[in-house]
Amino acid sequence: MGRFWSLLFLSVPIVGVLVFVWAMAGWPGMENHWLPANIGGNEALWIDRLFLFILALTGVIFVATGLIFFWFLWVYDAEKTTQPVKYFHGSHTLEVVWSIIPAATLLFIAIFQMKVWANAKLERPTQDGIPKAPIAEVTGRQFEWRIRYAGKDGIIGTQDDILKVNDLHLPINEDIVLKIKSQDVLHSFFLPHVRVKQDVVPGMQQFVWFKANRTGKYDIVCAELCGWGHYKMRGRMTLQKRADFDKWLEQAWQEQEVASFAPPAGE
Amino acid sequence: MNLRWIMMLLVLGCGLFATGCGSPPPQFRRYVTFIRLVEKQAGGDLELSDQQKQDLDEVLAAQFGTPNEPLVPNVGEVEIGKVLNISKLKVAAGAVGSDANDRAVGLYREHCAHCHGVTGDGLGPTAAFLNPYPRDYRKGQFKFKSTPVGSKPTHEDLRRIIVDGIPGTAMPSFLLLPENEIEALVDYVKYLAIRGEVERNLLNFWASGDFDKDSRLITDPAKPDPEQIALLKGQTGDVVTKWIEAEASSTGVSARPTYTPEEFAKSKEAGRVLFQGTKANCFSCHGIAALGDGQLTGFDEWTKEFIAPTGVRNPELVREFTRLGMLEPRNIRPRNLRQGVFRGGRRPVDIFWRVRNGIEGTPMPGFKPEILSDNDIWNIVNYVQSLPYEPISDPRQALDPVNVHVSAK
Repeated sequence: MGRFWSLLFLSVPIVGVLVFVWAMAGWPGMENHWLPANIGGNEALWIDRLFLFILALTGVIFVATGLIFFWFLWVYDAEKTTQPVKYFHGSHTLEVVWSIIPAATLLFIAIFQMKVWANAKLERPTQDGIPKAPIAEVTGRQFEWRIRYAGKDGIIGTQDDILKVNDLHLPINEDIVLKIKSQDVLHSFFLPHVRVKQDVVPGMQQFVWFKANRTGKYDIVCAELCGWGHYKMRGRMTLQKRADFDKWLEQAWQEQEVASFAPPAGE
Repeated sequence: MNLRWIMMLLVLGCGLFATGCGSPPPQFRRYVTFIRLVEKQAGGDLELSDQQKQDLDEVLAAQFGTPNEPLVPNVGEVEIGKVLNISKLKVAAGAVGSDANDRAVGLYREHCAHCHGVTGDGLGPTAAFLNPYPRDYRKGQFKFKSTPVGSKPTHEDLRRIIVDGIPGTAMPSFLLLPENEIEALVDYVKYLAIRGEVERNLLNFWASGDFDKDSRLITDPAKPDPEQIALLKGQTGDVVTKWIEAEASSTGVSARPTYTPEEFAKSKEAGRVLFQGTKANCFSCHGIAALGDGQLTGFDEWTKEFIAPTGVRNPELVREFTRLGMLEPRNIRPRNLRQGVFRGGRRPVDIFWRVRNGIEGTPMPGFKPEILSDNDIWNIVNYVQSLPYEPISDPRQALDPVNVHVSAK
């Protein structure tokens, strides 16, 4: 076997780092494998920064651990070394050091990210000093997203609500608040491009918010295994300018209000 | 040496994987419950022999092919091309994968078969866990459509159900599938429905004719009698014709009148009077408060013919047919109209169709214009649409402080 195992362990940090660098650079074969385009403005950029910070931190530890494994295997290879095995009963200093360093790091992350967390999960955008009302309610169920717009009166649960399935249109450049619910099991409402992800729990109503800055069609996906059809529980988020959105909403209302039918001619 | 063990495990794993791929292609399942029903209805004198059952399978296979290789039956004069398109069927049929041009195929098995079953019998592996059970297409009946009871749905009716899904049931929306895939699935549903209905009709035809133990659908398969062939083609042609005719039999709906607020209030009140009165008789099933609590012991047609021919559940028949694979029967529940969930669509025109045409296969009757005028039905529609928003339906939702704030616009 020679140096097989030690080299195998050495290859783990090398291949790991290579895959990440390859993906980040978007080199052939791994185009679009890094983060999806971020269209969520400042808050979403902070999510990315946190993500990359934690990635860098864990990356350094990952590489260091891999190298230490390799070093031990290389130096103490049973076929090469003639020294007898030595046992010892641990090192108090070492234990204290490797407990305190991660604890301090975790504490630092917890405090450092507090504002980002509050922006994303606690401080719902306000309007006239009151938390902004949701523009729509999104209900997850196996395996689709049912959407209910507040309609003209701005209140969800009234007769002018507009109902759609898997087809969420929203205006850009303004604070969007969505109410999210589940009808059956745990789902997770995930909008990758605006860096919003929130588990939806049956019986709970929760709110998510974001502000998008680019028009286009983006994915809504379920990020919590919810059953056999989890993988195809997809929706489509279409971001539009306010005027286009208003026009679309009015059209959706007209489609929902169809109240006549002319049978095909030529009977 | 360790490496040798790893290699051996790898080889074993590959072997297991390879044998797994060799399972036989799925076949259409025989309509065993209906065979049993036909035999019972003939009064016990009739019992199909294995040869006769096999003949039936072969006649169907000759016309419709197999789940992997569907065929559009040749029905002579009848323009079956208007209903089924072989290239669409081939996209929907077969195993899940993609063809030479990298287009998705096997769509039915990817999206539908786990509930509706490969045969379209509503007996897929997940069916037993759902309430309501998935539709069994083989009766050729569909609930939510623009045509009257007794007619087939139009292509557009089926398409709408696939695109919108059916709220209140396990049927999800397939809105994001490309248009051509939805079209292929619509055709495949029709194909399974036609195949199933032909199977039923052949069995009925068998039971009604004077066949004995040894007679066969085609007396001599080696040299088929043209008359017998024509007869079988005619059977299929009759079913296909009904599908062709459906395209032109959507019920027209005169536009809902425009109301002033006072007129609208009056219309809803008139709707309430009709709903709770004996002319429309809605309350007798849906309950006086529209909570769906009026009639709770009925069965739908898919269930009734087997286990409750007299309208009352017969435990002996339940045992007999569940043993043959039928799912434990459930009562059909009239809709609770206060939930705001309209399975067949929430547009006014959808609700109008439900009242005018009735709902196929259920106790919901249709109403001819002589009984309920268009105006009467619009009154009922207006009343029914307002029910979920009455305070007693769900007062919490409207009063929830987080919802009361109106966005300044």
